[in-house]
Amino acid sequence: MSESKFETVSSLVDNYQANDDVFDELVKDNHMSETWQRYHLIGDAMRDELPHSLNTDMSAAIANAIAEEPTVLAPISKASFSETVKAKVIQFAKPFGQVAIAASAAGLMVIGVQQNVAENDALVPNPIVQTVPFGGIAEPVSLNYQQNSRMSQQQAIVEQQRRFQALLQDHKQQLKFTALAEKPENAEKEVTDTVK
Amino acid sequence: MKLLICFLILGSLSSPVWSAETESPETADVWLARLSQSLQTLNFSTSFVVVKNNHAEPYHWFHGVNEQNVELEILSLLNGPRRDVLRKENTISYIEPELPPYSVLSANLKGPIPNILSGDIHALSSTYNFISVGKSRILGRSAQIVRIVPKEANKYGHWLWLDEKTGLLLKLAIVTSKGQQLEQIQFTHLDITEKPSESLNQLQDTELPSVVDIPQGYQQQKLSWKVNWLPAGFEQINANRHRIASTKQPVEFTLFGDGLVDISVYVTQSKEKQRSVDYVMDGATVALSQVVKGIEVSVVGKIPSITAKKIADSVTLLARPQP
Repeated sequence: MSESKFETVSSLVDNYQANDDVFDELVKDNHMSETWQRYHLIGDAMRDELPHSLNTDMSAAIANAIAEEPTVLAPISKASFSETVKAKVIQFAKPFGQVAIAASAAGLMVIGVQQNVAENDALVPNPIVQTVPFGGIAEPVSLNYQQNSRMSQQQAIVEQQRRFQALLQDHKQQLKFTALAEKPENAEKEVTDTVK
Repeated sequence: MKLLICFLILGSLSSPVWSAETESPETADVWLARLSQSLQTLNFSTSFVVVKNNHAEPYHWFHGVNEQNVELEILSLLNGPRRDVLRKENTISYIEPELPPYSVLSANLKGPIPNILSGDIHALSSTYNFISVGKSRILGRSAQIVRIVPKEANKYGHWLWLDEKTGLLLKLAIVTSKGQQLEQIQFTHLDITEKPSESLNQLQDTELPSVVDIPQGYQQQKLSWKVNWLPAGFEQINANRHRIASTKQPVEFTLFGDGLVDISVYVTQSKEKQRSVDYVMDGATVALSQVVKGIEVSVVGKIPSITAKKIADSVTLLARPQP
């Protein structure tokens, strides 16, 4: 290793020389790169910039860390995500990834529609109902629910009116038939007594 | 005039002997007695309108007594399909669209006007007060106002406007305890004659439809339930099993009456397990219905809905003796 080379490295460390050929030579030559490293270390020590625990080969450690790093993505992110979903939507989030998200969204849809139905009894078309839900589950559930409740409401009203009409008519009819029984008062009282 | 009113007011305030109120029970009684007398003996042709909610039903009403002292009466509904009630003394015939014409034996025909007004009004005195409240002008005539006021607030009051000359009814209102009028009968025409009118003469010569045979004991059947609470003065006057004509639903039925008002109670098995109470009002008549534990209880009558609800709630089933 020639003295001139050491000089070159030294001047390079001190930013006095920027020659690509020197760099190429430095990277190729193991001994020179060690020298380059050592000079930097000396400089750091003289400027009092040394880290507390001295790791002399940082690049190797980083390279090692990268090599050991597993094929990261799915497992770690899955666990943390389902936990946050659970916290927000307790009943509906189930820990199986994408399906859980869709299911919980569907659950929210149904609840939303039901609440709206309960609040507006009036048959005003509801914007929430008209939008197309993104979950395959939500659509039939919510729409059928709405239609059924409307149908049964109307049926119930008709049924109720028919029932009351029948009652009022029968009441009048019975009054006409009963007319005779009003007269013998003693008999009535006996009957009520025995019934009581 | 103003002076006179002032004097009257002062008088009524200062000396109770002078006030109209202390006299009122007697005058009210006198007027009601006169009404009853007139309804039984006078020959009259009248028209009246029953005003309920937002519709009106017009009627013609003829009454007379012939030479043989037989009471004749015709009551016709003028709107819609024909509904006539004919009466010859104790035979009442109903001509209605729902049923072939039939007759029943009774002293009274059932129309919008309570029968007790032509009967013995004092039968009501244990549960109602009769109060004379002054004068008014109805149908172009001067009228006496008499109120039949329930002693308990669970019934409606009846206000009557009576013709001063003849004692006949000119107006009737069914009124809540707060003074709201639910149903009115307003007379629109009144003719009092020496002799029965021509229509009544025709009725006299008409043969009435045959009398419906109501079997002995049919209206006093033993049912599998009882009503445990009724407003004061009500008694059972009919208890039977029948089918409601329009729905063919079998019901157990009891009719209660206090002389002025009738209450029907229906009990039947329901397909539903539970249905919360709901009701409709037809003028003063309420029809209320609820299902509790698969048993439907309905109450119909000219009573406040709260009273009807209380009656419905008081129904209990008896241990059923299996037939």
